[in-house]
Amino acid sequence: MLPKTRKKALQKEIAAAEHARELVVDVLMALQAHYGHVTDEAVFEAADLLGMTPMEIEEVATFYTFIYRRPVGKYVIHVCDSVICWMESERPLLEVLCEKLGIAPGETTADGLFTLLPVCCIGYCDRAPAMLINRKAYGPLTENKIDRILTGLRQEG
Amino acid sequence: MYPQVLFQNRQPDRTATIKTYRAGGGYRALADVLQQNAAARVRQVLLDAALLGRGGAAFPAGVKLSTVAEDAPYPRYVVCNADEMEPGTFKDRVLIFADPHQLIEGLILAGFAVHAETGIIFIRPEYEGAAAILEREVRVAEKAGYLGKDILGSGFDYRIVVHRSGGRYICGEVTAQINALQGKRPNPLQPPPYPTEKGLWQKPTVLQNVETLCCMPHIVAKGADWFKNLSLTPSGAGTKIFGISGRVQQPGCYELPMGVPLSEIIEDHAGGMIPGSEFKACLPGGASTGFLPARHYHIPMDFEALKKAGNRLGTGAIMVFDHKTCLVGVTLNLMEFFARESCGWCTPCREGLPFIRELLYEIESGRGKPEYVPMLQEMSRHLWHAYCAFAPGAAAPLASLLDEFEDEIQDHIKRKACPFSALT
Amino acid sequence: MLKLTIDNQPVAVPAGTKVIAAAEKLGIMIPRFCYHPALGSVGACRVCAVSVLKGPRTGIQMSCMLDVEDGMVVATGDPAAVAFRRQVIEWLMANHPHDCPVCDEGGHCLLQDLTVSGGHGRRRFPGKKRTHRDQQLGPLIQHEMNRCIQCYRCVRFYREFAGYPDLGVTGIAARVYFGRFREGTLESPFAGNLIDICPTGVFTDKPSRYKGRRWDFQRSPSICIHCSLGCHTTVSARYREIVRIEARFSPTVNGHFICDRGRYGFAYANAPERPRQGRIDGETQPVSTALDAALERLTTVSRTHGPDAVACIGSARSSLETLGALKRLCERRSWRGPFLWPDAQTARAVQTAAACLAPELRLSMKELEDADFILVVGADPVNEAPMLALALRQAQRQGATIAVCDPRPVALPFAFEHLALAPPFLADAIRIFARAAAGPPQAGVRASGGDAHPPDPNMPPAVQARLAAMGATARTCRRPVIVCGTQIVNSRTVARAADTARMLKSADKPAGLFFVLPGANAFAAALLSDENGAFNTLQAGIADGHVKAVLAVESDLPAAGEGLAPALKSLDLLVVCDYLNTAAARAADILVPTRSVFEEGGIFINQTGCAQRAAPVHVGGTPVAQTGGGDHPPRTFERSIPGAEALSAVQALDRLAGTETADPPAALADLHPVLAPFASRKWPDEGQLLDLSSEAAPSADWPPEEPPAAGKTFELVVRERTFGSEALSQRADCLRPLEKAPRILVHSDDAARLGIAAGDRVALTCAGGVIEGTADVRNTVAAGVVIVDRHRELNWPAAGAGWVRIEAKQIHKIEKERER
Ligand SMILES: Cc1cc2nc3c(=O)[nH]c(=O)nc-3n(C[C@H](O)[C@H](O)[C@H](O)COP(=O)(O)O)c2cc1C
Ligand code: SF4
Ligand code: SF4
Ligand code: SF4
Ligand code: FES
Repeated sequence: MLPKTRKKALQKEIAAAEHARELVVDVLMALQAHYGHVTDEAVFEAADLLGMTPMEIEEVATFYTFIYRRPVGKYVIHVCDSVICWMESERPLLEVLCEKLGIAPGETTADGLFTLLPVCCIGYCDRAPAMLINRKAYGPLTENKIDRILTGLRQEG
Repeated sequence: MYPQVLFQNRQPDRTATIKTYRAGGGYRALADVLQQNAAARVRQVLLDAALLGRGGAAFPAGVKLSTVAEDAPYPRYVVCNADEMEPGTFKDRVLIFADPHQLIEGLILAGFAVHAETGIIFIRPEYEGAAAILEREVRVAEKAGYLGKDILGSGFDYRIVVHRSGGRYICGEVTAQINALQGKRPNPLQPPPYPTEKGLWQKPTVLQNVETLCCMPHIVAKGADWFKNLSLTPSGAGTKIFGISGRVQQPGCYELPMGVPLSEIIEDHAGGMIPGSEFKACLPGGASTGFLPARHYHIPMDFEALKKAGNRLGTGAIMVFDHKTCLVGVTLNLMEFFARESCGWCTPCREGLPFIRELLYEIESGRGKPEYVPMLQEMSRHLWHAYCAFAPGAAAPLASLLDEFEDEIQDHIKRKACPFSALT
Repeated sequence: MLKLTIDNQPVAVPAGTKVIAAAEKLGIMIPRFCYHPALGSVGACRVCAVSVLKGPRTGIQMSCMLDVEDGMVVATGDPAAVAFRRQVIEWLMANHPHDCPVCDEGGHCLLQDLTVSGGHGRRRFPGKKRTHRDQQLGPLIQHEMNRCIQCYRCVRFYREFAGYPDLGVTGIAARVYFGRFREGTLESPFAGNLIDICPTGVFTDKPSRYKGRRWDFQRSPSICIHCSLGCHTTVSARYREIVRIEARFSPTVNGHFICDRGRYGFAYANAPERPRQGRIDGETQPVSTALDAALERLTTVSRTHGPDAVACIGSARSSLETLGALKRLCERRSWRGPFLWPDAQTARAVQTAAACLAPELRLSMKELEDADFILVVGADPVNEAPMLALALRQAQRQGATIAVCDPRPVALPFAFEHLALAPPFLADAIRIFARAAAGPPQAGVRASGGDAHPPDPNMPPAVQARLAAMGATARTCRRPVIVCGTQIVNSRTVARAADTARMLKSADKPAGLFFVLPGANAFAAALLSDENGAFNTLQAGIADGHVKAVLAVESDLPAAGEGLAPALKSLDLLVVCDYLNTAAARAADILVPTRSVFEEGGIFINQTGCAQRAAPVHVGGTPVAQTGGGDHPPRTFERSIPGAEALSAVQALDRLAGTETADPPAALADLHPVLAPFASRKWPDEGQLLDLSSEAAPSADWPPEEPPAAGKTFELVVRERTFGSEALSQRADCLRPLEKAPRILVHSDDAARLGIAAGDRVALTCAGGVIEGTADVRNTVAAGVVIVDRHRELNWPAAGAGWVRIEAKQIHKIEKERER
């Protein structure tokens, strides 16, 4: 369950919107921030808040890249695999990250810290190769830089 | 140095404040037209300025604004397309970070031109930083009296909402974006009805790209002729933000006159090719334009010239490839992108693109068969008959690969390996 | 009309027609997957490509998205279009599992057909196929997502057309998935249409899984007899078993769809317990022996006690031919009857409806979709006539306002206004509505009936205000329609509904009237019986010993569950002719098995007065699966078909009457003036709209309804359910899991006053016995009403009619036994 204050705030936002359902992505993001990912329970809560059916929520939730319907780690790494980043990397970044984290794309490290997801161009081609960690952009990346970033996050986490 | 219009307030790592923006003449155009209640003039000057949409489709902005009928129902909406998910494109991000009030003023002007009540900025989730800046600066603009009720005493009410996307390339397409804004699955919807007649919530909706909107305050302030004269070619108008990336020394965003030669952009502005690299081709305007081979190295970069060359200026996002880059690999990567981002509505795109990707993958991996080439040729033609412009966009790089670089493909097939893998 | 040329053939069609539809008029079936006439065009599959040679835009175009233009020239066989269509098929087949050998769609699969006809036969795709996980969607529908070609028909039907929320599309790109949020039984009673509408084998018929290919089946056009609408169906049989029922297109009745009651309700025809042989005093006998014995004993009773001592009963599930034969038998032998109704109130309500349904007022279901205002009175569409709910939804989607006055907690798959009113208020509700709809009185215009009576003081003013507001709305509407039920209302309400429709009509609008009747052939039963033709009038005769023998023909005697109607127990002789193993059949002294609609066919008159004929599907007999004991068919050879001895009910009745009817339909002409066309005309396949009288029903002189005494009396209403109530379909095992637990419902205020809570056991002491059941409390039930579900687990027949008045003291809460 969403904490009461958070829920109230969302309800207020929804009431202020012209149409409740225009906020479906925001509500899902809020629920995701709370649960870590959009759980089944969160789907029902979103449906309830927005006056939509769970099926309608699911239809939207499963469309988008940044809505996670499965558990993710504390840090979600979206690594760009589009053309400029691909061309600018010695080795595909995804491959490098898989190796360093010891997981396959789509997986989460055993310590629950990192989830690795390939995405299409993140709009940082001028800083290629690039990736997002929890939506913060990093680039241009080298293997050494990646090491430093991961170490830093491991220490924080 | 060419005149800097959209980038006049751009500073490294700094976002221009409202103060800076106003110091450069910002919000004066808005105040003027509001005072004179000159919505028709705004539409006319944009029409005269021949401002073509910068989001890729190059539709005249003035025409679009004028299609909203005088007696069309209310509320009306203006949507700012800040989705920018086309690979290689990042100019809108730079524009927002550099000078958010320029966009805000443009969005207000567009709203005023069609008597809209709400402006919505639809922004991709990767740009959370930009979204936060916009939200903050919208509040600043409100405080300054440029947004809200009875703006500058003109009787015009207008608000701006920042809408965060969940992240998908197709959300950049007009009708898909309208569906997304309504909390529906963002599948496109083939017109008619056109969004300017029945768009968001079935109400008239004008959708413009960030850069297009950013041009508006300047055109309204300085006039159509001034804007047209910014271009180096008579067929163009205004400046263009070229986002250049790939095998150049200084990738980044440059504001240059429309019609500037490609060679100049690469050599004088982007610092030239990286050492040891030779220009082989570029995608001149994002992932859904075709490979522009070296014989067009000096082409003037405007909509007309590229059209004549059988290509498109698109978003003006130039991706430069050198002689060591495998264009089959590039195309394969692009097809991966398009196949993954297909909305899943129509067959050519949903099923055709993965098919094409598979064929290219086989070729790139050295397992290509000669019969794959005619298959690719036929399929790239057939992509044109998809439901929306997404698949034809995907067809552009593929078709040009087949037209201009068939040798490279044949080489892969003959050698049973990628001829470039040895080079890197 | 616009003129265009398709494949060198000229065709003229109205503006707004799509090229794909225009081609169909010429008999050119352009390939399609996503396009469906009922669901419209969405341009998703791209397989309908044609070449436009002349028109605003030439080249390859999707014919389903393309509006015709004057002078357009289209070529469907143009090489460019053919190549593109073949490409589309290749793309779709790249991921298709090619499991045709084990796919139930195989043989009638659109994907298979277009793959073969399009010429795609060689796999060129070097990649792997995608796979999905299937979902368990309940007892009726099998899910196999790998076969999906993403035409989006299923969600468009389920959500947009039918209005149910629990099927959707998830995911993106090549991974889009069509299913439910969670596994589980599909909620919609129209879900079975997914099977028909899916162009591949994603949704297939589960009960008939692996029972054969379409070409293995004996298939016939038929008519659904599970409610009064008479939807068109196609029935498939194999190995003497009815295997599957599908929707058959009807432009006026059901369009392209049917409900799941109609699709899955046929199991009774295959039932192992179905009577196949004659029986005399408990001993199995040949059918003709049983029939001879029946004639002999009935004649004996008739001779001994007078013909009045023999009564004949039937029901609205019999064909018109059977009802006619029964009527002729009564006339010829001077026996009592036919008694075709459970109670007099229902009889009168239906007879009034049949009498009031003037040709200029009646509407087909298709026309109903065109209404812009619909007032539904005393009808519960999803439960009583499911497809009506879909027709109403189509009207609503096109902007119609829909209001329902009914005491039951009516649920419909769209937004509507529900006024929960007890039955005694319904007639007045119509009157208040009608007065507002008529507007201020005008000289020379006949006011609607019953105006002499003032508004009912017992009806809350707020409700009266709403009714008046609805009337005012209807007044401004182009095509207002009244839909009226007959199960829980009296004839006064029915007549007033008709009167109001007539009044609206005379205001120069194509207004209309649409009745819902109890039973597939209720209309025919109304024509062939009088108001004395109700079983509860007969009961008195049996009780006082005047009636000694009963001949029951395919009759649904109101009996509790599998018990025998109590009145029948005291008879000297009970003869039953039926194809069901009813309680009466089991108790009969003589049993004569008859043939079902699938073996005999028959005419059924639906609630619009349209006589439609079901064709026989197979000769019948015990299913091979049963004679073979579930094993391979037995290898003994004989000429006769096991279990096919049964006669048609008409033959049996003719033998009892001592006559022979050469042409049963023609013989009907003498029975009622409106059946006259049967004498002269050859039977039209599409059904025959009967020429009904256009006389207004007498209604102005109805006495005021006796008002209920608030808190002291309750209106007891028997509620039909989509599944579990109707005599035939409730015998289908596959539908049992879809039945809702039967309940006794009361309004929350009444529950509080009666001290009843949801889940309590309650007993209702009625004239015909005690009804005991579990209470449910809802505030969507009308105040002052107790609703009993018509379900075999409840003794609902004790109520005596669809609506009766009881005293509060007849309602008891059954105290739980003290735990010890
Ligand atoms: C698949 C697809 C993606 C698109 N993505 C974007 C985008 O991210 N940003 C954008 O401004 N236009 C995008 N467009 C173009 C828009 O549909 C539309 O033409 C444009 O936003 C209109 O604004 P403009 O006239 O100011 O350019 C896309 C088009 C397609 C077909
Ligand atoms: S081309 Fe078809 S599948 Fe692709 S994005 Fe457009 S509508 Fe969706
Ligand atoms: S399940 Fe059937 S109806 Fe639904 S999209 Fe797939 S092929 Fe079409
Ligand atoms: S609505 Fe009635 S007639 Fe139609 S299929 Fe269902 S039960 Fe049969
Ligand atoms: S039938 Fe026309 S696109 Fe599917």
